[in-house]
Amino acid sequence: MLRFLTRRLLSAIPVLFVVSLVAFGLMWLVPGDIAAEIGGTDATPEDLAAIRERLGLDKPVWERAVNWYGALLQGDLGYSYLLNRSVVDAVIERLPVTLSLAGLSLALATLTGMLLGILAAVRHNTLLDQGAMIVALIGLSVPEFWFGILMIIMFGVWLGWLPTGGFVPLSEDPVGWARSMVLPAFSLAVSQMGVIARMTRSAMLDVLGQDYIRTVRAKGLRARGVVFRHGLPNAMIPIVTVVGVITGVLLSGAVVIETVFSLPGVGRLIVGAIQRRDFPVVQGGLLVTAGIFVFVNLLVDVLYAAFDPRVRDGRGG
Amino acid sequence: MRRPGFPDSLFRLAAAAALAMAAAGSPATAQTRGGELIVVQGSNPPSLDAMTTSSQASRNINMNIYETLYGFSEGVKPIPILAEGVTISDDGLTYVFTLRRGVKFHNGKEMTARDVKASLERYRRVGATKNLLDPVADIAITGDYEVTFTMKKPTPTFLEAFSSPRAPAVIIPAEEADAEAGKTSFTGKGPYRFVEYVPDSHVTLERFDGYVADTRHDGPDGFGGRKTAYLDRVIFRIMPEPGAQVAALEAGEVHLLEQIPVPAARRLEKNPDIRLYENMPWAFLTFILNIAQPPADNPKFREAVQVALNMEAILAIATEGLYQLDHRWQYPGTTYDPGDIGADLYNLGDTERARRLLKEAGYKGEEFSILTDSNYPQHNKAAVVIAEQLRAAGINAKVKMVDWPTALNLRLQDSGWNGWTLMMGIEPYLGPVGLIATLTSPARPHFVKPDPELDALYQELISGPTVEARQATFRKIQARLYELKAIIKIGDVGLMQAARANVKGFRPFRFPRVYDVWLEE
Repeated sequence: MLRFLTRRLLSAIPVLFVVSLVAFGLMWLVPGDIAAEIGGTDATPEDLAAIRERLGLDKPVWERAVNWYGALLQGDLGYSYLLNRSVVDAVIERLPVTLSLAGLSLALATLTGMLLGILAAVRHNTLLDQGAMIVALIGLSVPEFWFGILMIIMFGVWLGWLPTGGFVPLSEDPVGWARSMVLPAFSLAVSQMGVIARMTRSAMLDVLGQDYIRTVRAKGLRARGVVFRHGLPNAMIPIVTVVGVITGVLLSGAVVIETVFSLPGVGRLIVGAIQRRDFPVVQGGLLVTAGIFVFVNLLVDVLYAAFDPRVRDGRGG
Repeated sequence: MRRPGFPDSLFRLAAAAALAMAAAGSPATAQTRGGELIVVQGSNPPSLDAMTTSSQASRNINMNIYETLYGFSEGVKPIPILAEGVTISDDGLTYVFTLRRGVKFHNGKEMTARDVKASLERYRRVGATKNLLDPVADIAITGDYEVTFTMKKPTPTFLEAFSSPRAPAVIIPAEEADAEAGKTSFTGKGPYRFVEYVPDSHVTLERFDGYVADTRHDGPDGFGGRKTAYLDRVIFRIMPEPGAQVAALEAGEVHLLEQIPVPAARRLEKNPDIRLYENMPWAFLTFILNIAQPPADNPKFREAVQVALNMEAILAIATEGLYQLDHRWQYPGTTYDPGDIGADLYNLGDTERARRLLKEAGYKGEEFSILTDSNYPQHNKAAVVIAEQLRAAGINAKVKMVDWPTALNLRLQDSGWNGWTLMMGIEPYLGPVGLIATLTSPARPHFVKPDPELDALYQELISGPTVEARQATFRKIQARLYELKAIIKIGDVGLMQAARANVKGFRPFRFPRVYDVWLEE
């Protein structure tokens, strides 16, 4: 297992290098720069040149790349042009929001999604199956921003039960934190729940049609045992895969929900930086995001091994 | 009085807003000290180092934290704020500013001439509009509470330019004057002091109990006057989504929206818990032509564009109904209002005449690319309507929509674009000098190729010895702008704001003044 983990961790290095190269290259290619944002509409070409000189943007691209990689090797992701703080600090500052949102919505989406998927598979071709899949389809189809606004109007304005937006740190006020997270986590979970439900249903149907399931049924095992002891563990590989992808997406920032609920998360940090051409934040943020994906993939691989002995024993699968 | 093109419902809304303003400003209500006011704006302040940014999102917050020597009054006249006054020599070459005594920074230190000189020298280095100090040859400390500016040449409009809130020449402690742009501790001496900034979340201010009010006034006057901080704390919350902003206001979670979409304002018109405030006029909507490139290098083509445009249709769509038709390059009723000059060429929407002019211009259907951005709805909506109207007149108009930083960069290129939609917010407010500076040398004019006649008129404007002389020059500028047709005035755009009914004392202005505002229990 240790060798497996070491091999996977080492394989992350070229991935991160390619991501950093792409991030740097894209920012170099994209038209417009931070000087225009700082200088505003009345800036002359001379003003912009002065701003670029101050920020080091006038240097040749190879020199900027060397400086960036040099700093990167020392663990320095750079300094934001606009936020008056280092990129590492800016990301760390946003992590409580992103972790809260991702953690809660993932838990909600996984529980409800798997439950719906299992129910639909077990009651295949019944009204329950169709009902569960309609719910999943609605979750998948409803635009997040629309659903989020709907939730705000219903629970924030009409009923007044929950705040309409903003983030309360868990350390400051646990109840306030929970209240501030309910609506965004639920709004975000709805679409992810749809994906997980459909994947669970499909994987479970596949497994429940296998010969060994017929055998355990023939042995007289109760339906619950068939589903949860023999069916679900064998259907977990595709479910874990999709949950892994969703985890990566959620941890790298759910920008739409963060925007609708005014949450200062990682997604808004990176998108805001792209819009304003705050290059160090974009490059550093993308690198952190890639790191998260690599970590989650590793976790998924470990879970594969846990669910499938063939992977664990190196027998393929 | 009903303004042309102002829909009925909005007119009623404006009337309700005016009543609300009168009620909010009523002296009959007793001011209450304490409480926390939550103001909402859509975007992060790019910087809280006031002198380094001309962004509205920064100004909204900064003008409650910092103060300048001189600033604009409610009537847009320069008034002393941190200065006691100024004595200008007869030859216009020396300005002696005396400072108010006993004025304290947020760190408790008293402001002296040393802080003023150090701040202004920093402004020369990092100020976003540092060219406003170009006429000044030297700044000398001539007493503990006195600084003397020696000018390179007489510049009668200097005090107006120096009072500009665009990127204000604020006074900070001398100890911070060596700090790079954005690297100060945001120590000012306004009625509220900076506490915390969490990007994408909020900026927190607290009442500065050591604030020394300017007792020469009865109350706030523009950027100056007698300011009183009633609130304990003010939080500027950053909420990018307008729908969520309105929901938060309706739910009573926030108190004041710096901007509310007009349709939402219309819906809340009858809500007794919410008051609407109309800031009209707030900005110019303009259409800029690249006169260095064909086809707009041809004056006949530009005339065709001018006569083809139906401003009312453009404004109605671009502003969601909150506009006033206005051909003037200064707001109506202000000092430099140029009257009817140019009115005969404004809002014609005359497609047939435009077609004839295009024929005379020898236009052969070359592409006319209208640059606009996705960030500001007024810009891109106006671009779409303008393109439709120009196509109807026979111009091969195409809309080129990019994001804002890209648009700002592209328009600095001599080619690749033919037209550009731009809202000018603070420039028209600053008066003719601030506005025309963006259209003349030594700056790069928005329409790319300088016009020698307009350049000469700008020089005449800034050297005009009296207001009357400058008014006469501005009338010539207005006429020249309509002859040149390199920048086309579409109209005046308003800004709708909203507050909870328990927010008292709020009066709409160029930034949300949170001093002299209190919360009714």
